[in-house]
Amino acid sequence: MTRLIVGPFNRVEGDLELTLDIAEGRVAQARVATTLYRGFEQILVGRLAADALTIAPRICGICSLSQSMAAAAALRGISGVQPPPNGVLAANIAHAAENIADHLTHFYLFFMPDFARASYAGEGWFAPVAARFTAVSGAAAQEVLPARARLLHVMGLIAGKWPHSLAIQPGGVTRALDLGEKMRLIAILSDFRAFLERSLFAAPLEQVAAIATPEQLADFSQGQGDFAAFLRVAESLRLETLGAVALPLISFGAYHSAQGALFPAGLFDPGASEARPLPIGAIGEDVAFSYMRDSAADPARSVTQPDADRENAYSWAKAPRLSGEPAETGAVARQAVAGDPLIRALIAQAGGTNVFVRVVARVIEIARLALAAEGWAREIRLKESFSEHGPAPLHGESIGMVEAARGALGHWLSVEKGVIQRYQIVAPTTWNFSPRDARGVPGPLEQALVGVDVGAAGAKAPVIQHVVRSFDPCMVCTAH
Amino acid sequence: MSVAETFYDVIRRQGITRRSFTKFCSLTAASMGLGATGAANVANALETKPRVPVIWMHGLECTCCSESFIRSAHPLVKDVVLSMISLDYDDTIMAAAGHQADAILKETREKYKGQYILAVEGNPPLNEDGMFCIDGGRPFVEKLKEMAADASAIIAWGACASWGCVQAAKPNPTQATPIDKVITNKPIIKVPGCPPIAEVMTGVVTFITTFGRLPELDRQGRPQMFYSQRIHDKCYRRPHFDAGQFVEQWDDQNAREGKCLYKMGCKGPTTYNACSTVRWNNGVSFPIQSGHGCIGCSEDGFWDKGPFYERLSNINHFGVESNADKIGLTAAAVVGVGIAAHAAVTALGRVTVKHDDKAPPKA
Repeated sequence: MTRLIVGPFNRVEGDLELTLDIAEGRVAQARVATTLYRGFEQILVGRLAADALTIAPRICGICSLSQSMAAAAALRGISGVQPPPNGVLAANIAHAAENIADHLTHFYLFFMPDFARASYAGEGWFAPVAARFTAVSGAAAQEVLPARARLLHVMGLIAGKWPHSLAIQPGGVTRALDLGEKMRLIAILSDFRAFLERSLFAAPLEQVAAIATPEQLADFSQGQGDFAAFLRVAESLRLETLGAVALPLISFGAYHSAQGALFPAGLFDPGASEARPLPIGAIGEDVAFSYMRDSAADPARSVTQPDADRENAYSWAKAPRLSGEPAETGAVARQAVAGDPLIRALIAQAGGTNVFVRVVARVIEIARLALAAEGWAREIRLKESFSEHGPAPLHGESIGMVEAARGALGHWLSVEKGVIQRYQIVAPTTWNFSPRDARGVPGPLEQALVGVDVGAAGAKAPVIQHVVRSFDPCMVCTAH
Repeated sequence: MSVAETFYDVIRRQGITRRSFTKFCSLTAASMGLGATGAANVANALETKPRVPVIWMHGLECTCCSESFIRSAHPLVKDVVLSMISLDYDDTIMAAAGHQADAILKETREKYKGQYILAVEGNPPLNEDGMFCIDGGRPFVEKLKEMAADASAIIAWGACASWGCVQAAKPNPTQATPIDKVITNKPIIKVPGCPPIAEVMTGVVTFITTFGRLPELDRQGRPQMFYSQRIHDKCYRRPHFDAGQFVEQWDDQNAREGKCLYKMGCKGPTTYNACSTVRWNNGVSFPIQSGHGCIGCSEDGFWDKGPFYERLSNINHFGVESNADKIGLTAAAVVGVGIAAHAAVTALGRVTVKHDDKAPPKA
């Protein structure tokens, strides 16, 4: 048995360190450590409730709008204000733009460059993949960065600035779009569609969204485009066997409208045929292996007190559990809960999630969101209100629940006399990269790494990178 | 990675045309306010001087500065400045990982000893011996000191590195500390904002790599070319402030008409940044244009200067708004309000200091 430390990780937001015990070339045991902590849950206490809209989104510069949405939802839960349809639509479009931008960054800049490593030089697919995806110098980045920047003009129009937008409020959005801006919004989304249909998919978005079976996906892999290139690499390296776990999949639901949520909240067990309602009250956080003092498990009751000297602790992240069990979250969970037939079929085939289905779910979601955003933009009624004015949140408790790109994000808020008494945040990567709990049960990534064949390469094995990155970690959110 | 390589060599290798290059030079010169001959100077420097290596490190932060940077307006900036920087080292976007990355860092440091620019995003937390930010098994503060020792100058990106930002908000649990309190023997340029504007970031990098020196700094260590303007003075809603026309609620009639956001908590009158001129997301908009007030994110201590949704100071402190409200009803008095409002602005610098006394009680 040898012990390897993998870290620091690059092309990951924030700091991450893995400790791997290797026996006979395979990972026998893994520990995932989040190595940075800032203390938002401590900092927010004692401030005026509305100021959470300014402080809380700064947890993360990558998914700050999702953090804004969660903070606004938590405040809305207390004040009771209901945003008008325009406010919901505009927020949905901005949220979708951030989510898509995150997925694109992940696919092109964080995940695919690992297949351009020299260790794959012998593979038949290597030359074109390396030319396209090598970090920084690959051809794809030259197309993706401008397309992504152009998409994020949506943030300019709706949210003023991004990252750390301010326009998302409990009662809607602060910006009432005019006709010219609505037209620009539609034009931006249509330019973005052109990029997707040219570079990522080399096919119409509708065709991508209609892929319903693994066989149709296999047909798609014969086409042009970067997604097809990934599918061929995945088949050659059998990525569906890598980083496998069979945990409950959870989604907090996102993109609400009068017709309900585009991706509803729920719980999906691999092997089940239907999603179940999510038992929110069964969510708790365990700190047996975290640098934290013991407190209540329920985020609505717990108090965050760092303890750098805690015996056996190895991570600043807490360990979120659902009914005492770890759970996986992210695009794969969101699509499984929402009933995407392809994603459910791929999960059923493998008996759970893996590197392959995590990436497929993310890329397919880009197509679904781009289509939905076009519809939302057209639905905006310019003469109607974008924001409802409500009372200031004075007393009460609430949970702001949204889906960030990386999965379920919740803000547990308690307010008295208008002042924040408690603010607990459970972020997507807190679930996925959680440390062990008091029963010794490892978190999702810790489970996914067990059994991975690292061969002679040890800590340098690219497979480790694939497994870690398949979750699209955001370490700054994880321990906040 | 030869030291003798010029910026122009790098971009030629990227297949960028001469025409794009000249355009980039004029845009950059214009954004720096270099005047008529500026473009030629920039071009000449980029063609002849060796490229200055940049190392980009991340401490306690949220990556918003990197996120802003990779979306700068000019395609050349994105392609070239980005690749120019990451040629050396960048945690977030570079190709290498793990020990390989640390090895590159060490190699770059030795090879370019005393020549490289250290760009720092985030800051070091000092509590618990630096335990709150461990990078490669060591406290970030150690890595920072080590890399700073051989740097020629340091860029402090964003509010974190410049001032501390939200993680330094009361009670500052990790003792997050700005760079200039830890590194005291190197020239430091502060580029505050949460995050800073992309064009400001690329402007600073281009100036330094072009001229091989720091741009002129103000008393607080910020580049004058981007931080000498008050948001309020260049704000397109300013006439409404002067006329006493204010938004009272999100999306009310005044909001739709683009009236002033002062009463909604706008900190534009006490904030120095280029948002109202350069704007965000490639010049599309900025917070005030989105109908939300400025929160003053480029100012020292902004994080503890809430409440963010109440006017900077109420009227009784200096006697403008009641006038403004009343006079809004009487068109004849508009000129008088303009004068009173200007007087008020002069007083704001003193008034905002009082915010700390009004901070909500801590639990």
